[in-house]
Amino acid sequence: MKRIEDILSQCIDDIKAGNTSLEDCLGRYPAVRRELEPLLRIALNIQEPPDIRPSAAFKIRARVSLMEHIRASQAMKEARRPIFQIGIRQAWYSGWLKAATIIITVVLAISGVGTGTAYASQGSLPGDVLYPVKLGTEQVQRRLTADDVSRVNLELGFTDTRLKEMEEVVEKNPEEIPVAVTGYEKNLNLAIAMAEQTKNEGVQANLQERIALVISSQLSMLDELEDGVPDEVEEAISNAKDVAISGHIKALQGLAKKNPVKAAEINMKTMQGRLNRAEVESERGNVREMERTLQHFQRLRRFGEEISEDTRRRGYDTRAIDELNARATAGQMQILGAIYGNAPEGTKGAVEEAMGASVEGHEQAVKGLRQQGSLDDIPEEPLLPDEIPDDIKDKILNHEPDRPINGSGEPGNGSGEPGNGPGDSGNGKH
Amino acid sequence: MQGEKNTNTSSDIDLLVERAIDGDANAFGRLYDMHVDRVYRHVYYRVGNVADAEDLTQQVFIKAWQAIHRYKKTASPFLAWLIKISHNLVIDFYRSNKAKTYIDFDMVASELGSSPEHLAEMHFDQQQIRRAILELPRGKQQVVLMRFIEGFSYPEIASSLGKSEGAVRVILHRALARLRKILEKVKQ
Repeated sequence: MKRIEDILSQCIDDIKAGNTSLEDCLGRYPAVRRELEPLLRIALNIQEPPDIRPSAAFKIRARVSLMEHIRASQAMKEARRPIFQIGIRQAWYSGWLKAATIIITVVLAISGVGTGTAYASQGSLPGDVLYPVKLGTEQVQRRLTADDVSRVNLELGFTDTRLKEMEEVVEKNPEEIPVAVTGYEKNLNLAIAMAEQTKNEGVQANLQERIALVISSQLSMLDELEDGVPDEVEEAISNAKDVAISGHIKALQGLAKKNPVKAAEINMKTMQGRLNRAEVESERGNVREMERTLQHFQRLRRFGEEISEDTRRRGYDTRAIDELNARATAGQMQILGAIYGNAPEGTKGAVEEAMGASVEGHEQAVKGLRQQGSLDDIPEEPLLPDEIPDDIKDKILNHEPDRPINGSGEPGNGSGEPGNGPGDSGNGKH
Repeated sequence: MQGEKNTNTSSDIDLLVERAIDGDANAFGRLYDMHVDRVYRHVYYRVGNVADAEDLTQQVFIKAWQAIHRYKKTASPFLAWLIKISHNLVIDFYRSNKAKTYIDFDMVASELGSSPEHLAEMHFDQQQIRRAILELPRGKQQVVLMRFIEGFSYPEIASSLGKSEGAVRVILHRALARLRKILEKVKQ
């Protein structure tokens, strides 16, 4: 016997194509008629919307803007490509003398190894014989790069290289992933340190913003990479994400000193990305990854509070930051409610902790806004999702989690640094 | 192919997609020209105002360019991939704008026992239906929109979402059952 969903689809298609009528279709399936009829009526009532079109002015404006974006991103990508990936021919275009200098220096740096070897090493992976040569050529490039902006860009380019290595090594030599993760951490630390050394404050802020945005997009790449790897390799990729979160926070700490609102906005977007990821993982039943991602969310949420606290301490207006933090709570609770519904028993504590962090952040933001007389329509107490039982709601709102907040596997320190080590997700709460 | 309602053949589009993956900005510009109307219409249906629809449509194509190297040709058309990006962006848009939240689980939680006869008497105007569709959970919403609003076939939807055709039919059945409850509640 046909299943109801197949009958329903068939009837909708046949009626819409004019091959049969509603009554005929219902007559063919008397056993399910009672269920089928209302569903068919609704389906047949759904009409395609009228042919709404965007204005010609918008289409032109959006096209111009899209093309500008593409050209700018291509130019940026080109600027970030390591010189040996660009190739010697292009190097000649930018000046044969410079190219020759680079080649000679590389030869000297790797003493006795030919340029052909240096070039060939660019495709090598951790564990390969030529991999140390590849790292050696990167070192030479560092020495040849003079200004701060180019140095930061160079290191960020190297972080991308490490991510590509992780991707490739997963299939060929998975036990070497930690080598790429350690390299990623080192490159990230160098990029952050170089940005900090930059004397011009405006340039420094731009670099720190750029680092944070690059890391944010790298987190998405690591999510995708993690989705495709076997279980035994997942841990190593998770470690890389811990490193990325720490780096992200570190870069934004620098930016927050100059432009706290921008830092808070970027942090909020990354936080939203982590929450969305946790929801997807809860839907998939991947409990471990859901928990780890919720820990990242908590770290970022607490870091959002830190930005506000530090800004207030320095005597600046924090209304925009507090409002951003407070207004985000409702949306976060909605997603956390969905995650709570998906999470199996025994893992719901992690979701409750994340809600606790969100509640704490909300309360702090409300306090700040109240002091500055800007509470407006923001609710003083966050509304917890309906999925949460009342006794748990009380615990969360009264800050009485079942599990100690600083317990094992706990979210890291909001100010954790990339230097924490790839295996260290950072423990402790502020 | 039901999904591509324009005069361009799928092989033209495939060729442009390949060139765009190789970094050809002009090819991506052509893909924009071919698909901007459909993407805009989809987004407008979801957000209901010109300003947000324009903003989100622009973001869809920027996201698509950033992700084009990850695009893999499947049984579903390129438009389905763009619609999937649109869907995710609209979800994010509503999440970051709490005043515009459209998912109201309270409204659909209560079990109602109306008879089919009662349903038959009901008249659903398109605004009510649109609002009800937007209250569906996102997975169900996506399937309803792709099937009834965008006109994609079951194999195309299945391929785009990485599910079997059977699974898509099951989701559609459940989505219609949920729509029924929402609409009954509205009529009460």
